[in-house]
Amino acid sequence: MKRIFSYIIVTLMLVTALPLVAKEYKVEEVPMVHLQDKTRYVSNPDGILSAQAVNTMDQILYQLEQKTGIETLVVAVEEIEGGDCFEFAYQLGKQNGVGKKEADNGLVILLVRGERCVQFVTGYGIEGHLPDAICKRIQERTMFPLLRHGKWDEGMVEGIRAVNTYLTDYDGWKASEANEEGQEMFAVFIGFAILILVFFIICYFVVREQTKCPKCKKHALQRSQTRLLSKKNGIKTNEVVYTCKHCGHTVVKREQEEDENYTGFGGGGGSLGGPFVFGHGRGGTFHGGGFGGGFSGGSFGGGSFGGGGAGGRF
Amino acid sequence: MKTISKLLVALVALVSLNSCGYNTMTEKEEAVNKAWSNVENQYQRRSDLIPNLVNTVKGYAQHEQSTLTAVMEARSKATQLTVNAEDLTPEKLKEYQAAQGQVTSALGKLLAISEAYPDLKANENFKELQAQLEGTENRISVERRNFNEVVGDYNTYIRKFPQNIMASIFGFEKRAYFEAEAGSEKAPKVEF
Repeated sequence: MKRIFSYIIVTLMLVTALPLVAKEYKVEEVPMVHLQDKTRYVSNPDGILSAQAVNTMDQILYQLEQKTGIETLVVAVEEIEGGDCFEFAYQLGKQNGVGKKEADNGLVILLVRGERCVQFVTGYGIEGHLPDAICKRIQERTMFPLLRHGKWDEGMVEGIRAVNTYLTDYDGWKASEANEEGQEMFAVFIGFAILILVFFIICYFVVREQTKCPKCKKHALQRSQTRLLSKKNGIKTNEVVYTCKHCGHTVVKREQEEDENYTGFGGGGGSLGGPFVFGHGRGGTFHGGGFGGGFSGGSFGGGSFGGGGAGGRF
Repeated sequence: MKTISKLLVALVALVSLNSCGYNTMTEKEEAVNKAWSNVENQYQRRSDLIPNLVNTVKGYAQHEQSTLTAVMEARSKATQLTVNAEDLTPEKLKEYQAAQGQVTSALGKLLAISEAYPDLKANENFKELQAQLEGTENRISVERRNFNEVVGDYNTYIRKFPQNIMASIFGFEKRAYFEAEAGSEKAPKVEF
């Protein structure tokens, strides 16, 4: 009897211990947090990283995407199926289509704790901006010394920070993008300037015409007297007397203007019609990014990968 | 009247050619050619890295002259052999693969002996070359797999009815695949 009891206990222990064995992820099983919330990039299903570290990384990567358009996917898991870190990271990028389609600017950063490996995979479009040797350097100098001591949070955050610094320091982005943008801005500015100038010129001539004395043709008319004639439907009719300063000639003109104090229908400025609705977040950043809301799900743009990047074990 | 009938014939021909997938065949063939040039590019990239790597190793490991020469010889043989995408017969592809396989195994040996030289291993230049080489091997395997996928797509398409008739008329031929070979398939093992 006792023996049976102990058997049962052992079996129970085994059953409860099973879930403790780390799950071997398949590529398609890794949860894509980015699809639920486009400000998130770090998939941490096994809780290897702290919430704070994940948050920090998300913020850095969001900034990175705003600046350079690079879409990043960070995955930290305990075990992967097959145990090939490069292949897994490559498939993560390929199957999820990380990066924009035209630019192929996806970046996948994978940490597999059980394999003790880190792998970067760069999309076709950023192989030149983040060369393999730089990936390797960041891993060896920044990440591995920390990861070796089990500092998962620090290792990953510092690594992502280094990647971000390297990518945003790359002048090519700024130069090429800023240039295009700058030229566009300049053209728009010039257009506006010309419009404003034309407007002022017209105003000047109109005003000048009004001050022209019909007798001596000098621009010396000056308003000397105003008399209210009528006030109807919010329109005031005034009789204005202009006197020429040069020759003393007087001109009487009837002028109409809107009565500022009129409170009939259609009067009063009031507020702009209706509540003004606008979405925040950059709509164009993600292809098909939800309903324009702030924290709706994002999507990856379908970038392709050519096997760039580097990886290693620590 | 004559021109109208001519136009009609042209139209029918256009539609029927299209329905028999002539255009699709051409597109798929073009995709194969492009995939092949990607494969070649990556092998070329590896070839370009080799002189630099050999020079770096030379500075630290003078005694390994034979290994270094083997790498350079394999490289020069492989670069002499270029295969045009159009005449990519199974034999030629095999030959190409064998030549590149020689380079792969020679490189593997070179990296293996470099393990014995701590100064070399600590050299920044060497480290970065190693990273680039590793990345290139990854790229090669990605492009080879992609090539096989594209070729598979093309081959199945031209062998299906009714495209097979059109394919034989217009000379669309089955293309060869990369085969996983024992030995040469293995990327040089780079331990860190």
